[in-house]
Amino acid sequence: MIIQIILLVGLVIFAGLAILAKDLLKAALSLAVASLFLGIIFFRLSAPYAGVFEISVVAGLITVLFALTISLTRKNDQVQEARLVKIAFPLFFILFLIIDGLVMKSLLLKVPALPAGPEAGTFGQVLWKQRTFDLIAQIGVILAGVLAVLALFRKKEEDKDE
Amino acid sequence: MTAMTLLWPIIFPAAVAILFFLIPTRVRFVREVLAVISSTVLLYLGFALFSLKELSLTTNWLGMGINFDLRLYHFSAFILLALSGFLFLICLYSTVKMKDHPRVREYYGYVFLAAAFSNGAVLSNNFILLIFFWEALLITTYALVTIGLKPTSHRTAVKSLIIGGFCDFSMILGIGLLWASTGTLTMNQVHVEPHGLAVAAFILMMIGAIGKAGAMPFHTWIPDAALDAPVTFMAFMPASFEKLLGIYLLARISLDFFQLKVGSSMAMVLMIIGAATIVLAVFMALIQKDFKKLLSFHAISQVGYMILGIGTAIPIGIAGGIFHMINHAMYKTGLFLSSGSVEHRAGTTELKKLGGLAREMPWTAFGFSVCALAISGVWPLNGFVSKEMVFHGALETGYPIFAIAAWVGAIFTFASFLKAGHSVFFGPRSTEIPKTKESEAPIVLPILILAALCITFGVYNKLPLQNFIQPILSGQAEAQGSLDLTTHALNLFNPVAGVSILCLIIALGIHFYGWNRGGKKAYLASEPIHQLIGLKQLYNLSEARFFDLYEQGVKFLQWLARILFQFIDRPIDFIYEKVITAIGRSLTGLLQKAHNGQYANYLAWTIGGLLVVIWIILQLLR
Amino acid sequence: MVFSFIVIPLLVAAIMPLLGKISKKLIPDVLTNAALAFLLLNSILLIKPIFNQGSIIQNISWMGEKVNLQIALDSFNLFMLFTISLVSLAISLFSIDYLEHYGHKANFYALLLVMIAGMNGLVLVPDLFSIYLFLEVAAVASYALVAFGLGYDELEASFKYLMLSAVASAFALLSITIIFGMTSSLNFQDVARGLQDLSARYVIGVCLAFFIMGFGLKAALVPFHAWLPDAHPSAPAPISAMLSGLLIKVSGVYALFRIIYSVIGMTPVMSQVLMALGTISMVVAAFLALGQKDIKRMLAYSSISQVGYIVLGLAIGTPLGIAGGLFHLFNHAVAKGLLFLNSGSIQHITGTRNLEELGGLGKRVPLTAGTNLVGSLSIAGVPPLAGFWSKLVIIMALIQAKQMGYALIAILASILTLWYYLLIQRRAFFGQMNEKWSHIKEAPFWMSAANVILALICILVGIFFTPVFKTWISPAAEALARGVQQVMMWGI
Repeated sequence: MIIQIILLVGLVIFAGLAILAKDLLKAALSLAVASLFLGIIFFRLSAPYAGVFEISVVAGLITVLFALTISLTRKNDQVQEARLVKIAFPLFFILFLIIDGLVMKSLLLKVPALPAGPEAGTFGQVLWKQRTFDLIAQIGVILAGVLAVLALFRKKEEDKDE
Repeated sequence: MTAMTLLWPIIFPAAVAILFFLIPTRVRFVREVLAVISSTVLLYLGFALFSLKELSLTTNWLGMGINFDLRLYHFSAFILLALSGFLFLICLYSTVKMKDHPRVREYYGYVFLAAAFSNGAVLSNNFILLIFFWEALLITTYALVTIGLKPTSHRTAVKSLIIGGFCDFSMILGIGLLWASTGTLTMNQVHVEPHGLAVAAFILMMIGAIGKAGAMPFHTWIPDAALDAPVTFMAFMPASFEKLLGIYLLARISLDFFQLKVGSSMAMVLMIIGAATIVLAVFMALIQKDFKKLLSFHAISQVGYMILGIGTAIPIGIAGGIFHMINHAMYKTGLFLSSGSVEHRAGTTELKKLGGLAREMPWTAFGFSVCALAISGVWPLNGFVSKEMVFHGALETGYPIFAIAAWVGAIFTFASFLKAGHSVFFGPRSTEIPKTKESEAPIVLPILILAALCITFGVYNKLPLQNFIQPILSGQAEAQGSLDLTTHALNLFNPVAGVSILCLIIALGIHFYGWNRGGKKAYLASEPIHQLIGLKQLYNLSEARFFDLYEQGVKFLQWLARILFQFIDRPIDFIYEKVITAIGRSLTGLLQKAHNGQYANYLAWTIGGLLVVIWIILQLLR
Repeated sequence: MVFSFIVIPLLVAAIMPLLGKISKKLIPDVLTNAALAFLLLNSILLIKPIFNQGSIIQNISWMGEKVNLQIALDSFNLFMLFTISLVSLAISLFSIDYLEHYGHKANFYALLLVMIAGMNGLVLVPDLFSIYLFLEVAAVASYALVAFGLGYDELEASFKYLMLSAVASAFALLSITIIFGMTSSLNFQDVARGLQDLSARYVIGVCLAFFIMGFGLKAALVPFHAWLPDAHPSAPAPISAMLSGLLIKVSGVYALFRIIYSVIGMTPVMSQVLMALGTISMVVAAFLALGQKDIKRMLAYSSISQVGYIVLGLAIGTPLGIAGGLFHLFNHAVAKGLLFLNSGSIQHITGTRNLEELGGLGKRVPLTAGTNLVGSLSIAGVPPLAGFWSKLVIIMALIQAKQMGYALIAILASILTLWYYLLIQRRAFFGQMNEKWSHIKEAPFWMSAANVILALICILVGIFFTPVFKTWISPAAEALARGVQQVMMWGI
């Protein structure tokens, strides 16, 4: 339970950092760490496939991708943050959490009991027999990720050539 | 002829317009020939359709009661004929006047496009179709004004677009309201008693119609366009086409769609707008120093007579308003064309620089004089007849104030045309312009044709009244008393005509007094106004006459004119030009500041927006 | 074959990097355009069967074994597929010349094709979770494409886009999860049936809010719009055209309204909320567009504003309103695609997008200027171009639904639109010629060709408005409206 809470708090903190960090590089890294926490939470909730997917695609591919490309093309002058922004976002975020907490709790009571899900064998079978289309989409996501790596790292090669 | 013939007046000019756009600018002569020939064909079509009188074409178009519905009947046939007649004259005139213009290719294209849209607007029997053609005319107007190629042409074009857009927008709203209350979009099925919501619909649609005709307060772009747009455009759009269309629609609105009652509040609204337009615009016209600008203010002032006439809701008044529409189109087109002729030869239209051109340009001078006398309402020209009918109508409503306003307008109309004619064509020969000669035949001919028409319609006024005007009223006259044109003796010997003639004499007096005071310089006949505006070279003259009783009277008029100019004309202009723009700017600036490129900020809005949406949905569900 | 809409672009994309090693330009150019032309042809060939049968549901088997690959095609889907194929073909034609100075065409095309596959998939699947996944396919490809120029600004914009887009996806997913939890099914029909049996209006209300926020952010509705003006201008011109012309409509508008019409069911409450959101977008973004100096930023704000129109039309819920919204969706896809491509031409010709530096280009580059004028006037709603009709239909639908206030605002907003498009025209093409531009040349062949094709569509659709509207838009709208009746009203 304590580990759970620590993980959740860490997730929230790093997600917040990803948004509030002035420096793009730091923001990208925070996003990666937040995804890592999320992946671990998935594992602990016994959803290993989701965990692997989360860590590999979000934390791995996209974020690292951004971190690297940003560090390659960093601009010296930093973007000036308005002071108001620093207050506005956390304010709304906390407000949202509070309202969400209050509303959801009462709402969830009204949600009818979960009907029994279809028992359909192992994960692999479910994926193949019932969610075949999703496989194609997954292939698409991974393909997009790979292609993105290819596209965004080309500059580096060019620089070397020059 | 089949019903499909009705498509010809729309498709043919549109096709010709496309042809014009395709002919390269360098090719000469072909364009002019094509313009004259195709406008002749259109004129023939106009006659052919006019002789048919009744024809209609209905095809399904968009569903929902929106049909492609064209209807020819005596009124639309009459307007159609008039439109094609003016198109022919303008084309003839343009062959010389616009020959060397750098954008002549677009000019003819847009002119014929405008003709196609106008014909469509007149023939359409479905409101949506009408809106389509009506809106499309805005674009051609915009394009034609920019063809003036002056530095400020673009600004004026935008102004015309904004004002026209506003008017059309109100018309669309009005039509929407009318549709909501009647449930049909077919024009000849709509007959509403003006109550409740229909009153709003009437006012909105009326704004659309009088805005197109250029009545106050939707006139401010016309004087600007007088200087910025080609003079042929002025003769084409504000002088003839827009008047014909605007008044046509106004007549349809107040006679057909809504049955206007004598003295009802809506009739009063129309009459007040008409009277105000007459008086205010004529005061503005009086102080102008440019020939074309002076004419443009009269183009506004004369609309007042038509609106006043229709607003009386009395057969003689309505007939007078419609008759005045066609008369005005004739002489105002003639006047603009003659100013163009002067510009063509003398190179300027500033009254001060011109003078004594009558000897060198006798035909132009003759055409101008006839048209000017017609617009001033001199017996026996056509302007006299139609103005008399409006006077009679206004008196019969029981509110003589409107007739008095119309008479005041008549005084100053004549005074300002005396000034204009005197300074351009008569008096001593100006030394500022080199020796010149009469313009070419294609320029003079349209002016003379129009002058001849002015005389014909005046002397044989029964002819147009019985052939053109009476059939239009035949439907309405039953309900509100028969129209017998002989009941009102339209000759010199009745009290109403007497007052009118007295007005003309007063005008003559005012002019010659001012002329004398102005050192026998005709362009100074209304010079006190110049002095108040503050021109230095006139300062001494003004001081010398400070205690003159006449001066005091004129000064009051000047003051009135200036007040009107400063406090009514300019603020309206200011609203169009500054306030709307400024509001747009400041709102934009405010919103831009909020977009500072920080995504934490953006995310905050997103979540804030989500909260609001949830809250609203839950509220609505409650 | 309906399935080819997903598989062909994916396959071509997969082999593209390899082919790029063999031939840097020719093969990728030819192959991509051929694939997209095939898809366009395919969508045209499908028109007839759809009209005859109403809808097609295909189940595909794999090596004789039955697997759950279900595709549902009705006239609404087909309409979207046709729009996607048409605009993306024009965009890839444009890219032939435009991508010359970016290089790495093979990678670019591969990403473009993945994005198209994602959009096609999203349009075709009748399943909530699959919608989410295909949304991600298109989104991941678009992140990379926005950053394709690899400048700092482009990366920053792309990162912002990624962050906000991830938040949106998360909320959409959350909502899908809640619905799955309640009905234990994901298929549209099953979910719709399951939701009818439940009485959980408040929970569904919150789900709906999450959907509105998630897909609204993808569609860039105010106040969820702020990423778009950064992301769209930063991308290369063909990608801006792709994002503004198609992606926001498919992954935002289509997904949202598909779920509303086919799953949850359109109700007065939703109609009100969405109409209000659409109207706010329309007005706020129009004012923002007025103040922009960069052509592409102005166009980006205009996209937000026009999406507002589309949402407003679709949210009315009457057949006429839906038809108007869909028609505007098509017109805006074509015209905005044209304008973004055109801004690419301008940048290619002059090297700048700043309106204040441009001026008097019209004489030197008549094709670019002419097509830009057509696109601008079409979006601004000037007759007889296509955009006029769709706006007219929307406004008429509003009047018909007795929403006079909204009709009024819609008309006023269209005046604003005309205003800022005239600004572009005046500053870039007319007016005083800037001395700098006296030696510029017209854009290369394929760039101009793409512009001309799209401009012709704007004109032709406007002129042949009646047959287009009757045979093409109305059936699609009816397919949606039928969904409204199928899903019974159940409380919200």
